Amino acid sequence: MNAPAPAALDFASISDRVQSEVQRAIQRSIKGVEYFNSSGPALGSTPKDVLASRGTMQLYHYRPMADEIYRVPILIVMATTNRGYILDMVSGQSFIEFLLKRGYDVYMLDWTAPKPEEKNLRMEDYVLDFIPDSVRRVQEDSGVEDVTVIGYCFGGVLSLLYGSIHHDGPMKNLICFTTPIDFREMKLFSNFSDRRYFDVDRLIDSVGNMPPELILQSFDMLRPASRAVGQIQLWDNIWNDEFVKSYRMFDRWANDILPLAGEYFRTTTKDLMWDNKLFNDTMTVGGKAAQLEKIKVPILHAVAEHDHIVPYDAAKHLIKKVGSTDKEEVILKGGHVSLVAGPNAIRRLWPKLDSWLGGRSI
Amino acid sequence: MADKSNDPVAMWQNMIGEMEKGFNSFANQAMSSPEFSKVMNQVGGVTAGAQKQLGEMMEKYLVSMNLPSRVQMIGMAERLQSIEGQLNEIKAMLTQMGKASGVPVGGASTSMPPRTKRPPSAEGGPK
Repeated sequence: MNAPAPAALDFASISDRVQSEVQRAIQRSIKGVEYFNSSGPALGSTPKDVLASRGTMQLYHYRPMADEIYRVPILIVMATTNRGYILDMVSGQSFIEFLLKRGYDVYMLDWTAPKPEEKNLRMEDYVLDFIPDSVRRVQEDSGVEDVTVIGYCFGGVLSLLYGSIHHDGPMKNLICFTTPIDFREMKLFSNFSDRRYFDVDRLIDSVGNMPPELILQSFDMLRPASRAVGQIQLWDNIWNDEFVKSYRMFDRWANDILPLAGEYFRTTTKDLMWDNKLFNDTMTVGGKAAQLEKIKVPILHAVAEHDHIVPYDAAKHLIKKVGSTDKEEVILKGGHVSLVAGPNAIRRLWPKLDSWLGGRSI
Repeated sequence: MADKSNDPVAMWQNMIGEMEKGFNSFANQAMSSPEFSKVMNQVGGVTAGAQKQLGEMMEKYLVSMNLPSRVQMIGMAERLQSIEGQLNEIKAMLTQMGKASGVPVGGASTSMPPRTKRPPSAEGGPK
């Protein structure tokens, strides 16, 4: 068999290409100056009301966008390290807006940075106080007993802990996005927090709350070249307004890391990272056993094929371990963030979630 | 359209992508050793301690310069947050009262649409 002949040089197309590259170079210079003189797009601006604000806890209710809504409201529980606006970027790229337009009544439990005196907030405060209090407020505000809970990343872990302890209701459905349960499989995080070398007590006793810089650093270390490459790609594409807008949105969010309450971080490290208690069915919160088999409600777990933060091996046992009969795991293309936000999510996760949840929200 | 194999821009982008993958994978391998964890945590412990001491020194310096310290700024932010919280509570109460009496309050979530929606497939439409 003959090898294919190398493509002949097409001088006309080379000249077009050179011309286009020269134009882009000029655009780069102009847009580069604009970039430093302008702020990024406004994020998280879907109209909402603050239903409750208590310390680090913020409960929002988004204003409906449909003439008719499903009976069961949704409560989204955000990860404690990140801001909720990842799910509400700009119009057309907002998961919240998508849900509202599809007729869901949406509430979000979001977090602000815990203050130094909130360093004593424990896992119990999140699982046995903040989430149940939010659920109660959602019930009160909507006038509906049932609530669907959606947890993103560690928000999923908190939702699972809540659901396994409050297994007799009122959670009607549970949706987890990229939720780890086998913490041994988060190999690099596991190595960073190796109990032989990582003295979590000393760290928390000296700093109070876990500083966001350290959290950001550990996320960055999972892909150490990606930040520099991101900068190169930004410069390459700075002529492209859509690319720059998207870069700014995700870059801002990725750098907007929250500190973690000291005691809460201590428990996370010892119970989850070191002893893997959620996976081993030995987890307790405030003396209450939190076993996944107690969860019996319909559950959907969406995981990303190329998730470098929560690898599939860390998330894959969830569906097997819950006691629900109506359960589904969906593996979608994308990474930890692109699973829930951006063009990939718009095409894949959002419609899947809508088709799964609609029938279970009546 | 130009052949990608002859396109220097595409080649450059491809090379950057491959370099990123290669470096990340190499670094991940190096970082998964116990030795790395040991060194990282030793350095991290020292840095965290030094940062805390520096923070305390700066705090004293600002007080001596008659400038508001971080603690004072946080105190002010807390007071504002507490006022905001109370306003939100009042707003939530007013909304609840408005809902109960049928009087709209502030244009916010007062007139909720009916909770009668059915999924498209249940209505016989496209899903």
